[in-house]
Amino acid sequence: MRAIRNLVATLSVGALAGALAVAAPATSADAAKSPTIFKVAASSTIDTFNPFISIYLLPTGLNRLVYENLVQYSVKDGSPTEGLATKWETSADAKTWTFTIREGMKWSDGQPITSADPQWTYQQMMTDSDMGTANGSLVSNFAKVEAPDPQTLVITMKEPQASNPGLEIPVVPKHVWEKIGDKVKYANDTNVVGSGPFVLEKFTPSQSVVLKANPNFWQGKPKLDGVTYVIYKNTDASVQALKAGEVDMVGQPTLTVPQFDSLKNADGITTNAGKGRRFVGLSLNPGAKTRDGKKVGDGNPVLQDKAVRQAIRQAINIPELLDKTFQGHGTLATSFIPSVYPQWQWKDESKLAKYDPAAANAKLDAAGYKKGPDGVRLDKSGKPINLRLFVDNSDSVDQSRADFIVPWLKAVGIGVTVKPTDGDTISADTTAGKYDMYFTAWSLGADPDYQLGINTCNALPTKTNGEGSTSMDYWCDPEFDKLYAQQHAELDPAKRQEIVKQMQAIHYDAAPSIDFWYPENLEAYRSDKFKDLTKMPEDGGVLNGQSGYYALLKAQPVGADSKNASDSSGGGMGAGGWVAIAVALLAALGGGAWLARRRGSTADDRE
Amino acid sequence: MTSALLEQDVEATDADRDVRGGTSFWRYAGRKAGGAAFSLVMVVVLGFFAFRILPGDPTRSMTRGRIMSPEQLETLKRQFGLDEPLHTQFWIYLKNLPRLDFGESYVYRRPVSDLIAEHLGATLLLTGVSAAIAIALGLWIGQRAAWRRGSWFDRLNTGSALVLWSVPTFWLGLILLLVFGGMLHWLPTGGLKTAGTTATGIPLVWDVIRHMIMPVVTLVAVTYAQYLLVMRASLLEEMHADYLTTARAKGLREDLVRRRHAVPNALLPTVTLVFLHLGGLIAGAVTVEAIFSWPGLGYLTYAALSGPDLPLLQGTFVVFSSIVILMNLAADLLYRFLDPRVRAA
Repeated sequence: MRAIRNLVATLSVGALAGALAVAAPATSADAAKSPTIFKVAASSTIDTFNPFISIYLLPTGLNRLVYENLVQYSVKDGSPTEGLATKWETSADAKTWTFTIREGMKWSDGQPITSADPQWTYQQMMTDSDMGTANGSLVSNFAKVEAPDPQTLVITMKEPQASNPGLEIPVVPKHVWEKIGDKVKYANDTNVVGSGPFVLEKFTPSQSVVLKANPNFWQGKPKLDGVTYVIYKNTDASVQALKAGEVDMVGQPTLTVPQFDSLKNADGITTNAGKGRRFVGLSLNPGAKTRDGKKVGDGNPVLQDKAVRQAIRQAINIPELLDKTFQGHGTLATSFIPSVYPQWQWKDESKLAKYDPAAANAKLDAAGYKKGPDGVRLDKSGKPINLRLFVDNSDSVDQSRADFIVPWLKAVGIGVTVKPTDGDTISADTTAGKYDMYFTAWSLGADPDYQLGINTCNALPTKTNGEGSTSMDYWCDPEFDKLYAQQHAELDPAKRQEIVKQMQAIHYDAAPSIDFWYPENLEAYRSDKFKDLTKMPEDGGVLNGQSGYYALLKAQPVGADSKNASDSSGGGMGAGGWVAIAVALLAALGGGAWLARRRGSTADDRE
Repeated sequence: MTSALLEQDVEATDADRDVRGGTSFWRYAGRKAGGAAFSLVMVVVLGFFAFRILPGDPTRSMTRGRIMSPEQLETLKRQFGLDEPLHTQFWIYLKNLPRLDFGESYVYRRPVSDLIAEHLGATLLLTGVSAAIAIALGLWIGQRAAWRRGSWFDRLNTGSALVLWSVPTFWLGLILLLVFGGMLHWLPTGGLKTAGTTATGIPLVWDVIRHMIMPVVTLVAVTYAQYLLVMRASLLEEMHADYLTTARAKGLREDLVRRRHAVPNALLPTVTLVFLHLGGLIAGAVTVEAIFSWPGLGYLTYAALSGPDLPLLQGTFVVFSSIVILMNLAADLLYRFLDPRVRAA
């Protein structure tokens, strides 16, 4: 008993002393050193920082800060701009690309950056399929890569290629990586040697990623001393953290509309509804089949009729849907290429269909789908039309969209059965062609070649269970494929853009998917602490999830005076200190009371 | 559930009595351990197949919306061992299990056992502290409430404990987060320590304590009622026992009668239940860890679901289940050990 009593006494006194000792100096120490660290809340998965393996969005984005590409996406519209290379030339047959590497660049460890680095990087991906896990498809057209001198890199293609091959692939330092034994298993998460504006210093799984400024970055050292990504498992918590000033930016992934609205009028916080590089829409099964024409899955045959697909588009009031289900946070779509890439986006107002249920009805009448007694149209075999609509039951926006679409389609005589299920089932069933309609979404890179490619016949599966399919909507058209091949090798940007727009017009007319809108990324940052953040695209774009490294490149703290002012808002000691003292006092009081009681009771006992 | 488990326990001990009117502790322990081992085997088998019947192809789910060629998908399948037939995959899983090798995580590309080891500490810290507080609080209030049954103390405490117990964990956690994190800025909104902190020693301990307060309060709030109610019920059963009259007749103060005589007897069923609940508590930490971004096993499981990261799911499933099974075994053995009546019967 005595031992316990002593323990309690020691603990409570110790807690009090410890709390006082810690609470007081904590804030003064913070003020003394104060490196400018920008903290970003992130709620997405981090698989690995090995750039050859990493397939998740967040680490891929972080590697954009760590590794400069041979060619970078421009902040204006994502078009190719200087990276490690200052300029590039393409042979007339579009088969040889020659890059000139900037002189005098250094890795963060001081070693020179030469053409040997990209050469080695690409070579690894070409010769070892495991090293191509993340980006293998980007080098699949490479026949050979040579580095004739430290400033020159020559890529020879198997087939002509108009899209710049130097984009997207992180270039790693050869002198570091060639010494690594098992490169595929290498975690690459401490003291990373990089070439971008920030380099990874330390990764604590499920907690944080610490990056520090790279003094050797070719555009000069960033003004921030570092960036720390703080892992939050839910965005609600990260919004509170922003309000409390624990983090400086949120929006990765996008906030929900209520979260965003709650930050709109918050002091010291600036919100940004940034134009994103995603589109959302409704995918229709146009009759899934294999490359050689064998049926895949069990799609409703009426959707094979283009008139039905077009009528569905006219029956859906897309502007109202955007307004009611997403509070207008998006730009109405004209194609699957988002408006942040205006050079590629097809936008022919005269050809765009408007919400017009009467016209939709007329179109279905003309196509021979008569209305049955209950107002539901009959298909060619005389059965009432009933389409299945997959809804991801973990996504409330998906569900509310379905609530609007069902009555709209009913109004034109098309029955819909909503099938709520999980995302993995939707993914599996749509790959196998077992669907009629589902909500689709894609993020696009700055070059549309890939997205166009997955709409060609080559993207269709070879097996009837859908295995190996990369097709966007199981749709393909020989005319579209011909133009795809043309644009793939067209070196004149203006001509290539023209072809790409023609392809989108074909896709729009065929309507294998109904493109709704390009959603905004809803995000916010502490504008009372930091300024000069750069959006991508510069005009109305996003801060989080950029395809470049611009957001924090020029960011800097708001003047030193105002910074002190905002810091002192906690009142001298800071809230933590007060809580510490409160806890310690409680512990001391509790311990004391317990002791007193103990002593009293033992006295009683002794009687 | 509580009473069902109790009954089960009583039945088991009844069945264990042999004709001579007593069994050796070791025979009893052996039987219980055998049962636990069988459950473990079932968990191991189930752990493999339960997740394999999940719909979808992990390689496709993981790469959704990303530029991937069929060749890249094939590479992923090969790396994950998904190109092998199911029975081969199962055999590999079984073969490696005795070495606690659950394979390599699809997402994190690291051995599952390393990931579990890395996250286990945080979970044990959170659940350990919460369990200690919840048990202490529950037992203390429980016995006082029983002793003064029907008083305002009893009604207030039992009532509020039940209310907190019925409150959804997620809701309570978010409310705390909103008030103490977002509005008052008193406590950090998530994590185990300040991100990127270079603190060591006492400042680091203090930082961790500050981060622990909200998750611990949440977990204690939603769990202490079960200890309270069990303690209260057990003590109520003892309240009219003859030995208490004897104790009072000796002239002992009411307080001492309760503490020295009634409570130790009432503790017997309580202790076993505490162990039964401990296993559940660790699993219950999943929600709390997700709210407060606590980097523990629950958080890891939550993340694994979105792969689905099969090896990681299997690993965490086996670990969670083993903890529950071991705690149940401990409860069985402890009950036998603590209660002289059962031992001698």
